[in-house]
Amino acid sequence: MTSATLTGPIVGTKPPGLRPGRVLLYVALSIGALLMITPFLWMVLTAFKSDLEIAKFSWLPGELRWHNFVEAMQTAPFLRYFRNSLFIAVGETAFTLAVCTTAGYALAKLPIRGSKALLSYFILLLLVPFQIILVPLFLIVKSIPLFGGNNILGQGGIGWLNSWWGLIIPLGAAPLFTFLARQFYVSIPNELAQAARVDGLGEFGIFWRIMTPLVKPALITICVFQIEAAWNGFLWPLMITTSDSMRPLQLGLAIFAQNPAEIQWPYLMAGTALATLPMIVMFVFAQKRFVEGMANVGIKG
Amino acid sequence: MSATLEQVTPAVSAKRSVPPAKDSRKLIRSQVRAGWVLLAPALLHSGIFIVIPVIAAITLSFTDYSFGDSWSWVGFQNYTDLFRDQDFLAALKNTILYAVVVIPLSMAISLAVAMGLNQKIKAIGFFRTAFYLPTVTATVAIATIWLWIYNPGSGLANGFLSLFGFAPGRWLSDPNTALPSLMVVGIWQGLGTKIIIYLAALQGVSRDLLESAALDGASRWQKFVNVTWPALGPVQFFVLVTSIVGTFQVFDLVYVMTKGGPGTETTVLVLDIYQNAFQALRLGAASAETVIMMILIAAFIGLGRLLQKADVND
Repeated sequence: MTSATLTGPIVGTKPPGLRPGRVLLYVALSIGALLMITPFLWMVLTAFKSDLEIAKFSWLPGELRWHNFVEAMQTAPFLRYFRNSLFIAVGETAFTLAVCTTAGYALAKLPIRGSKALLSYFILLLLVPFQIILVPLFLIVKSIPLFGGNNILGQGGIGWLNSWWGLIIPLGAAPLFTFLARQFYVSIPNELAQAARVDGLGEFGIFWRIMTPLVKPALITICVFQIEAAWNGFLWPLMITTSDSMRPLQLGLAIFAQNPAEIQWPYLMAGTALATLPMIVMFVFAQKRFVEGMANVGIKG
Repeated sequence: MSATLEQVTPAVSAKRSVPPAKDSRKLIRSQVRAGWVLLAPALLHSGIFIVIPVIAAITLSFTDYSFGDSWSWVGFQNYTDLFRDQDFLAALKNTILYAVVVIPLSMAISLAVAMGLNQKIKAIGFFRTAFYLPTVTATVAIATIWLWIYNPGSGLANGFLSLFGFAPGRWLSDPNTALPSLMVVGIWQGLGTKIIIYLAALQGVSRDLLESAALDGASRWQKFVNVTWPALGPVQFFVLVTSIVGTFQVFDLVYVMTKGGPGTETTVLVLDIYQNAFQALRLGAASAETVIMMILIAAFIGLGRLLQKADVND
């Protein structure tokens, strides 16, 4: 399924004109789109308002107070949260790409006995909700041997708690991405690998130099999904970080919003706008590929 | 079909290009070895961070473990205790209520929007981005934005209502409107993914069937019921499963917006699990709750499957 067919002409044989049905459709869609966008506009408008303006309901700020953004940055260490989120997102994505493309390729292309059963295994895991494994996962991460003061049996210290390892590794390499990668590798003809073999290239060379460059759309899809998941992650960082210096952006925002009576709304909305912007920019740029990836995950099970 | 082709291809072509059978066996062996090496990290990772935790969650639910060294086997004690625990019962009720309202509504709205976007319309990119925007935004950010919208004093919700002369609401702090207010945000946020999946699926609906139905004089509604709806079957199920798993997991929204309050009006299962595990340090009880949640999710999926089968048989 390509994005071209997604956006192209579809149902209905009559040329679209200004029939009442069309007008109604546009009106309905526009109202819908407005409902989707308004909260974001409201966020941005609030971010520019003064304290006086937010005390009473008002639509537009009297003047654009850009320094709200600066002051928000000074009130909470948003810059550091930002950097932490970026670090986690990049780490998780790199880890996911490395683990899931290799496994996906092996499942799709190499003659392993039981590869069908293994595929079912990954699909089954994909259905396990994260919250189910929350508590044991915490215990496992706490008892990783030889980290955080733990002995070789994983006792005595804090393991990967409050560490980049703990923030990055457990949530990387989700089975969804192994499955997704496998789906893309399957679609590449085997003849290419055969030809490379005849030319004397080893199995790992074929994977890395022949096949993987051909699944770039899959890699982009996986990147977008994983960056989004990592950037938006909340519960896991909330559980395993205790020091403010490790906290990602979402946690920083939540802490900022902790006590409703004392929230400085313009600052909070400025911080939220800054946290939201990277994902929106990424989506606008990766939109077509992203939609393509979604279509593949959803339908071609 | 493709699987069998894949399996025979290496052997056949090896026979053709490199005659000695010994070489081809060696080649297969090296492929198998490479395969396991490439798979090893994913198997190790999923084993340690998913399979063992699932087994451990089930095991812990039968113990009174609480982060200390000593613990003992308590059988079904945690489970029976839970059903006497008012917070848990409230969480259970709220989660099921949330799921029962949010899943059908969000699926219906998404399908309607997807059908709308599946026409030849201008500015499709704009509409798609608009509907997808909340989905790419972090739930915490969504929650803080809506927290401000629902602000009783100067929030958008009351400002908007006052345009029409309605009395302002207290939204999240009013026991009657707290959960519905959260549901609105949940539905609003989850539309994007479902719309895109439906949109992709609608491309797969046979245009020939739709056209022949139109030639036979079928109305729009008849075309939908007889052609589009049955064709969407497998995708409906996919959307249903992901929606069920998603709504049962609702946490960030509640944590930031209400912390489960007022009282226990908006306490959901994951919030209660979190509080049991990391505030009350009752890991056994928290694990029992996750097992109950797992069973509930399975039951919901099974129910969905049944409904779908009944639908197909009609």
